[in-house]
Amino acid sequence: MVLLCVHASLGLAQADAKRGAYLAKVGGCAGCHTDAKKDAVPYAGGRELKTPFGTFYGPNITPHAEAGIGRWGEADFLRALRSGVRPDGAHYFPAFPYPSFTQIADADARDLWAYMRSLPPDGRASRPHDLNFPFSLRFLVGFWKWLYFSPGPFVADAVRTPALNRGAYLVGALGHCGECHTPRTVLGGPKRDRLLAGAAKGPAGKSVANLTPAKLKKWDDNELREFLLGGITPDGDVTAETMGEVVRNTTSQLTPEDLAALIAYLRSLPALADEPR
Amino acid sequence: MKKSFFAAAAAVVLGAGVAQSTFAQVKPEILVKQRQAVMTLQGKYFGPLAAVAQGKAPYEAAAVQRNAGFLDNLSRMAWDGFDPSTRNEKSRVLPAVYDNSAKFKEAASRLENEASKLAALSRTGDEAAVKAQIGAVGKACGACHDDFRQKQ
Repeated sequence: MVLLCVHASLGLAQADAKRGAYLAKVGGCAGCHTDAKKDAVPYAGGRELKTPFGTFYGPNITPHAEAGIGRWGEADFLRALRSGVRPDGAHYFPAFPYPSFTQIADADARDLWAYMRSLPPDGRASRPHDLNFPFSLRFLVGFWKWLYFSPGPFVADAVRTPALNRGAYLVGALGHCGECHTPRTVLGGPKRDRLLAGAAKGPAGKSVANLTPAKLKKWDDNELREFLLGGITPDGDVTAETMGEVVRNTTSQLTPEDLAALIAYLRSLPALADEPR
Repeated sequence: MKKSFFAAAAAVVLGAGVAQSTFAQVKPEILVKQRQAVMTLQGKYFGPLAAVAQGKAPYEAAAVQRNAGFLDNLSRMAWDGFDPSTRNEKSRVLPAVYDNSAKFKEAASRLENEASKLAALSRTGDEAAVKAQIGAVGKACGACHDDFRQKQ
């Protein structure tokens, strides 16, 4: 009994890498930080992300001292998520979705870090981004942040149920759904009044679905759940592969409670019409 | 005498051929309707296959074989419906279908190949291989939808 108590208190005090592994799935970290090639080493980087500003390459985030983030401390990791800043103080480009990750709860961020530390180090070198001038000027990100980035943790809405708050947290913080599903201005800032309303030209110029009830109302909860678990609609239609990957990496991996909370939150959004094409 | 008969016959045949191709000019809105019907039916047969691959439905070899066979045939039917004449018709098609037709053709062939592999595998009865191949077909559908179809 005493032993059990000691164990439980240790568990609370220390970050939990197993929980972190789940949170990494919810965050879809492997998507950008793993090459698209078959048999690529998870989290060793290399995935390309084509945007109107140039091509980004997801860096190696395994604990390799040179190639990865092996020399980081927990504080460096927390600062990267919360402030979009590298250990040397330079800004990250917002292709790294820190405008969403800034909302991640402390305990979750620490568990994520514990999980990242538990990965096998891999020596694959991170490829530099290939950006168009003037977007290649990293200091300009400071201006971008001033315009669009509001750092700070997720604040639960006291009026909403715990499940709805959980859904809002999953979608807005860890899941960073809005990074693709909220349209952006020409400067790449989110249009806040168009939250999750889809985009005519999202990442790689591909169109992105509207997640507000304006479009989702035609699916019932069960259909939406089946879609998020398997990527297939009730009529046998197959989702585009960009979302197919998100289904495989993230939504199909959610606990039933988290999946239900996510769906409930999407249902609660104000209905917005599609962007003009 | 004989020669002129053949000449006349040839003229009739050729004439008929020309007329045929004129009359065969299917209206763009009909081409769209037909290709959408093919897509709908592909969904009809792919849905149950996906359910099998995802373990939501039991593996019944006969049903899998039948659905995979229908899908194999359907996978070749839609493409001539994306005729340039259909560019301005109302549909979810993206301009890339017409502007990057080489890439579209490649995506179409990928589906045809994966669907034909699935049909062949479904006759061997190797359950694990069939399930993996259903996934490959799904990815071929999704890859094409990514680049060539407007999201809803």
